[in-house]
Amino acid sequence: MGMFDPLKGFGVTFATMFKKVVTEQYPEDFYPSAPRWHGRHQLNRHPDGLEKCVGCELCAWACPADAIFVEGADNTEEERYSPGERYGFDYQINYLRCIGCGLCIEACPTRSLTMVNFYELADDDRRKLIYTKEDLMAPLLPGMEEPPHPMRLGENEQDYYVQGPELARGRGVPEGETVETSKEEAIQ
Amino acid sequence: MADPITPVLTKRWLSPNSWRLSTYEQLEGYTAVKKALRKPPEQMVALIKDAGLRGRGGAGFPAGVKWSFMPQADKGAAKPHYLVINADEGEPGTCKDIPLMMADPHSLIEGCIIASYAMRAHHCFIYVRGEVLHCIRRLNAAVREAYDAGYLGKDILGSGFDLDIVVHAGAGAYICGEETALLDSLEGRRGQPRLKPPFPAAAGLYAKPTTVNNVETIATVPYIVNGGSDWFREMGTEKSPGPKIFSISGHVEQPGQYEAPLGTTLRELLELAGGMKDGIPLKFWTPGGSSTPMFTADHLDVPLDFEGAAEAGSMLGTTAIMVFNETVSVPWAVMKWTQFYEHESCGKCTPCREGTFWLAQVLERMVAGKGTEEDIDTMLDVCDNILGRSFCALGDGAVSPIESGIKYFRDEFLALCEDNKSKQSEAELVGAKA
Amino acid sequence: MTIAPENTETEVPEGHVKLVVDGEEVIAPEGELLIRTAERLGTVIPRFCDHPLLDPAGACRQCLVEVEMNGRPMPKPQASCTMTVADGMVVKTQKSSRVAEKAQEGVMELLLINHPLDCPICDKGGECPLQNQAMAHGRSTSRFVDTKRTFPKPISISTQVLLDRERCVLCQRCTRFSDQIAGDPFIDLLERGVHQQIGTAETADIHNSASHTSSGTPFQSYFSGNTIQICPVGALTSAAYRFRSRPFDLVSSPSVCEHCSSGCALRTDFRRGKVMRRLAGDDPDVNEEWSCDKGRFAFRYAAAKDRIRKPMVRDESGELVEASWTEALRRAADALVAARESNGAGVLTGGRLTVEDAYAYTKFARITLRSNDIDFRARPHSAEELDFLASSVVGTTPEHVSYASLEKASAVLCVAFEPEDESPIVFLRLRKAARDKGTKVFHIGQWTTSSVRKTFGELLACEPGGEAAAVDGIAEHAKDLDAALSSDDAVVLVGDRAAEVPGLFGAVTRLAERTGTRVAWVPRRAGERGALEAGAVPTLLPGGAPVSDASARATLETSWGLDSGTMPAEPGRDTAAMLAAAASGELDALVVGGVDPDDLPDPAAAREALANVGFVLSLEMRPSAVTEHADVVLPIAPVDEKTGTFLDWEGRVRPFSITLEGTGALPDCRVLDTLAVEMDADLFTQTAQAAWSDFSRSRVVSAHQGSNPDQHSRPAASTPDTPDGTVRLATWRQLIDNGSLQVEEPHLAGTARDAVLRMSAATAERHGVTRGERATISTERGALTLPVEFTDLPDDVVWAPARSPESIRSVLGAGHGASVALSGGAR
Repeated sequence: MGMFDPLKGFGVTFATMFKKVVTEQYPEDFYPSAPRWHGRHQLNRHPDGLEKCVGCELCAWACPADAIFVEGADNTEEERYSPGERYGFDYQINYLRCIGCGLCIEACPTRSLTMVNFYELADDDRRKLIYTKEDLMAPLLPGMEEPPHPMRLGENEQDYYVQGPELARGRGVPEGETVETSKEEAIQ
Repeated sequence: MADPITPVLTKRWLSPNSWRLSTYEQLEGYTAVKKALRKPPEQMVALIKDAGLRGRGGAGFPAGVKWSFMPQADKGAAKPHYLVINADEGEPGTCKDIPLMMADPHSLIEGCIIASYAMRAHHCFIYVRGEVLHCIRRLNAAVREAYDAGYLGKDILGSGFDLDIVVHAGAGAYICGEETALLDSLEGRRGQPRLKPPFPAAAGLYAKPTTVNNVETIATVPYIVNGGSDWFREMGTEKSPGPKIFSISGHVEQPGQYEAPLGTTLRELLELAGGMKDGIPLKFWTPGGSSTPMFTADHLDVPLDFEGAAEAGSMLGTTAIMVFNETVSVPWAVMKWTQFYEHESCGKCTPCREGTFWLAQVLERMVAGKGTEEDIDTMLDVCDNILGRSFCALGDGAVSPIESGIKYFRDEFLALCEDNKSKQSEAELVGAKA
Repeated sequence: MTIAPENTETEVPEGHVKLVVDGEEVIAPEGELLIRTAERLGTVIPRFCDHPLLDPAGACRQCLVEVEMNGRPMPKPQASCTMTVADGMVVKTQKSSRVAEKAQEGVMELLLINHPLDCPICDKGGECPLQNQAMAHGRSTSRFVDTKRTFPKPISISTQVLLDRERCVLCQRCTRFSDQIAGDPFIDLLERGVHQQIGTAETADIHNSASHTSSGTPFQSYFSGNTIQICPVGALTSAAYRFRSRPFDLVSSPSVCEHCSSGCALRTDFRRGKVMRRLAGDDPDVNEEWSCDKGRFAFRYAAAKDRIRKPMVRDESGELVEASWTEALRRAADALVAARESNGAGVLTGGRLTVEDAYAYTKFARITLRSNDIDFRARPHSAEELDFLASSVVGTTPEHVSYASLEKASAVLCVAFEPEDESPIVFLRLRKAARDKGTKVFHIGQWTTSSVRKTFGELLACEPGGEAAAVDGIAEHAKDLDAALSSDDAVVLVGDRAAEVPGLFGAVTRLAERTGTRVAWVPRRAGERGALEAGAVPTLLPGGAPVSDASARATLETSWGLDSGTMPAEPGRDTAAMLAAAASGELDALVVGGVDPDDLPDPAAAREALANVGFVLSLEMRPSAVTEHADVVLPIAPVDEKTGTFLDWEGRVRPFSITLEGTGALPDCRVLDTLAVEMDADLFTQTAQAAWSDFSRSRVVSAHQGSNPDQHSRPAASTPDTPDGTVRLATWRQLIDNGSLQVEEPHLAGTARDAVLRMSAATAERHGVTRGERATISTERGALTLPVEFTDLPDDVVWAPARSPESIRSVLGAGHGASVALSGGAR
């Protein structure tokens, strides 16, 4: 062992001090993950704010970890949450069980359930990790209105499914502005 | 073959006031019933069997055989028997029973008395199509006349035989021409075909033994009683004897009812009807209403009897000959017919209810120039899924214009699709318009 | 089924035929439908309209197969649901015939062209025969690109049934069920062709004013829920269950209905500790595949918000407050011991107990309270009834009279029994017997009720209270009935209401002795038959031996491990006597199970007794008129949360096991066992299983069961004359009313029959009542005003439902056969 060898080691340290740091200073600094990261779920909305979820429970059926609980209910003319007859009255995802596989997303027939790239899913209380509908609903984008409210985009649910975005533009949402909460740019 | 002009059923039609009892009686009316009531009922059944009279309603089932299915039990303990006359003439192009009842209702009534006597029925119902109000009135008047003259009611002509005839007006459904649907409708239910067995001869109207016969069949009976079976067999062919009223409509000079022996060809009938209208050549025709596969000019010499028509790939049906000249588009005509079947399908069974709905839409699309070549194959396959799969024969009838139309005139269908090919319209989203 | 090995001639038994299905030789009974023969071979032919309990229809054409008869193939594929087997037939199903396979695919494609893609939101999704069969027998893609036929989304055809016409495949199961099985043809097909739809008179667009007569009749049937269950698509759905869950997250548990004595097998579906729905179970011996709407829909009482879940005791201020089990049991034990040592305590069990629970009450009364003061009859009752139950009912099994014997009977006589209201499944079986087998059904009653009409029955009308005389008069005045009853297979069904008519049980016994016909007792409540068997009556021991029989007592003492001679020998008081004794201080305490004072012969007196008696222990699920007066309330488990056994009216054992586990609710038998331990006695009824085995071991069958000479000498009471200006009241409870097990069921309540006052036109005229208006019946106690309907009642007789919704006994203090004043208009 040479005389300067111990200093060589410090040299590495010293030299590194002037290099660009690759470590992310989480949690002080927060960096978003890739857009297709299997993060937290989101329940999307139609362009007028009505919920896309119809409470069909297919996500719950698809879930291999039994992490999802859904109960449907009936829309009425006075209190409408989604176009059509049925909406998700109760929606819970237990993130203690969720394995982030995304099978629920594939099962969703209305593209109501998607995943966003949010990954801070840890807490010190088990109960806080059961996310309910309020936690999971997508934020209201411009032109959206918090349900319950009547169908603004058409006569029936088929109008929503077949030409929802066009109808939204017809109502004055400007071109280029995103109307779908499930679009990736809306998530970022 | 007998001379085409042998008026039997229609012989009184041109007499003044031919529908009156007095006219009828002058022209040897109610003579057959007098003969018949003197003979035992079995002999009547045997006579009709010998004459080889086949049902004139479309299927051509031997009438005598049908009558012999009725239970032979005596009066008293046995259930009552019923004779029901199917006068719900609804097949497109068919126009023979209603003129017959208009011009000569008493021949039907006389036939009813003889047939009822042969089957030991004391109630006879005539189920007339509701739309033909004039005919119903005339028939009612004739029944009244017959009651007054003692041909109906208790102890007819001193024979001890009782018969009541009820004229019932239907409410306008094609399906009620199907015998079991007719019986349901007559009972006051929804006109939908019944499950067979039991057949009407075992459990028909009000679950009692019943025979359902066509108007023309029964109206032929008095002539057979008067003329005998040998006379009857002089006309027509071996297996399809007797005269028949052909209703000729469409592009001929003189459309109307023409009586001719069975086995007459269209060529002969066209001569009677004055030939094609304005001399425009024949393109296609139906031998027995829209439910029978169509014929073309190649079939002018097909003998129009039950066997001849079947051999040539169609059916004799009701001998409703609709003649179309070259100005008519086959897909258009087929579409119109299919719309009729869609409208008249009773809805009981899936193939007919859903199939006619689908076929009508495809044809409408095609005629509008939006069809594709695959649509033709789809239609043929759907037809195959309806034919023989439906509850009654309505479904079978609904597909025959389409299948035969495509068989003989595929090019015309293809031409409509050709038109669409150039446009290449964007594929519409399924259900987008719903 | 016999499958013959190849190349050997098998004997074809009498009444059977031999045919070949898919190359396999099979012997089938004559008249069997091809679809069932194939099913026995394990080949499931897809079907929609076919249902084994309905007449064949052949409407959907989904079950087409190829058939060869006498070596000749039939030209068209045949519907296997309508074609019966024949000798020498060769059948090719979709398994061996491409023609059949294509026909089935074709029909499936046609069915789907107008069926909406609603599966994710459809209640049937996941248990849908259309979905399943489309996966198994359908094409993978649709060629239909045109416009679907649509209808507005669901219309409610009654408060509990919703109809989605788009989804309907028009198989007509619902209309055929309503017409054939229930006899309520309120739904039918409307329109034709592709516009054909199911509808009611209300949904029909009737323009012809002449037809308006039938308009406004909703789908009001006690059996409408069955149409939801047999619908092969999601066209008919339940309003109560709508969108609540999906089949795949439900856990199904077989159960038995607790509502009436029909003993229906049910299937209870629950999710996360909550019952979501109940369906009819399949039990060919009992309910076949049907159930009534009460059994199907009335179950949410157990999840009611006001359910008592913790013991309660009355504190010094007179308020009921929650307490620990220890405290509540201590309080109850002390009070009951004190009462026992003084004037004694009585036990009113109510008629809704399982056999095990009733047995626990029996033991509790006899061992812990050392008394025979126990009675299950929370309704009008009589000593004569007890004699009848002891001589003719207790110990009988389905071998005596069963559903099957009703179906086989040549004649059935219903006495004081309205089958559709009081035992709906008995009604269905009577209707089936009358419709299919020609059974003659006779009813002794007051008017041509729907039960009479729908069982094609004959009414022998009599005055209310005159039923006994009518039964005695059969020999003289109804010779045809007398002859019919004399045949071997005739049956007399007598309802528990017979106790309201003095002398009626005697008359029925005399009739049975004279004609040799069998008599069966059909109580209204599910627990009565079991409670009788368990000995929850003042005069009988478990098994039916009389209390007064010393040897029977001795036997029981041995099996119960008691010291000789400790069993009380004196017959106890019945319900009315106990309440009277409690009111007058002759009893110091009452132990009350599920009793509604409004059902008792004198509700006012019962309330007074509860208020006056020194101590009331109530074992209840929900607050009631009894808990109002209770000093200690102990919560007990509803049927969903316990194991037990009912005895149905036939005497058939209907065991069921727990559906919702771990709720902490305890059955009566466990609560009583624990209470007895507090009182230094062992009942050995800690669990239902223990109670049942103890009961089975301890039954003492009566030595002289059978005829009771004492009874026959009693003459039929003649009906007292009605004073001037009054009319005689006929009444019974309708199936759906405000009973305590029907709470929180708004959808079910909407299908209840209207409460109306029925009378003949002549009666109305005489008393100044006009049709369509309201009229009042009254006694000195009170008055009841109801809309009037004219019915074929005898003159000077009115009929009113026993709950309208007030209890007629509470309001008027009078019941069946009483004289009441009638006046037009409201008072």
